[in-house]
Amino acid sequence: MLNCNKASLLASRALDEKLPFGSKFMLNLHLMLCRSCKNFAKQLAFLQAAAHHTRINEHLKLSKKAKQRISNAIKAK
Amino acid sequence: MTSEKPALNPQTWLEQHGDYLFGYAMLKIKDTHIAEDLVQETLLAAIAAKDSFAGQSSVRTWLIGILKHKIIDHFRRQNRTIAIDDWVENDELASLDRFFNANGHWIQKPAAFPDPESAFQHNEFWHVFQQCLAGLKPKQAEVFVSKEFYGLSNDEICKHLSITSTNCWVLMHRARLSLIQCLKKNWID
Repeated sequence: MLNCNKASLLASRALDEKLPFGSKFMLNLHLMLCRSCKNFAKQLAFLQAAAHHTRINEHLKLSKKAKQRISNAIKAK
Repeated sequence: MTSEKPALNPQTWLEQHGDYLFGYAMLKIKDTHIAEDLVQETLLAAIAAKDSFAGQSSVRTWLIGILKHKIIDHFRRQNRTIAIDDWVENDELASLDRFFNANGHWIQKPAAFPDPESAFQHNEFWHVFQQCLAGLKPKQAEVFVSKEFYGLSNDEICKHLSITSTNCWVLMHRARLSLIQCLKKNWID
């Protein structure tokens, strides 16, 4: 039986890649029995949805003005 | 220009990699203007040195390598030794002791979160989210943002950081645990 530490790591990993069959089975079994980890899996989904939400991504994009400035600097070379 | 390798097309680098480089720089620098300047310096340096691109990694990985040096130079100019220490800190191997006890049980049991769609309506939520992201350790921030904002695969992320996939999962997990804890503390509670 997995402990919560290991189960939570698997739940996180499951967002990034397909888990091996055995791990997936163990994780699902744990999630059926453990309310805390089930909540954590939902929190993970919440977090991922927030990250994928477009509004936050704008903060980490170059502005049009900056792009133009860099483009000019490259052309000037 | 005509003698370069066919796959190398520096005119497209700003368009293809500019946002990624900028996002990466922002996580370390947290100043829009300096981050923009570093992206510009990186692209100019890369174009000047394009013949030295070995083609063993992707162009993006190569550009990130150049940007990293520019960021370190920037910190050196400012005598920000703490930031450099921060940079080289091996935080991928630290444990999850903050979250789990010796038996692997949660120290603080996760509770249900509110409905995402209603949370996302509040400007306050995004403010907190941004603060929580900025508060992550550099490597945690890098894996999380690479994955969730830029959609890089785990393989690519591990390669950038030169760490094993196991360490990569743990690092990503810790980033998520930290973010969830931060959101809970500053927004939900």
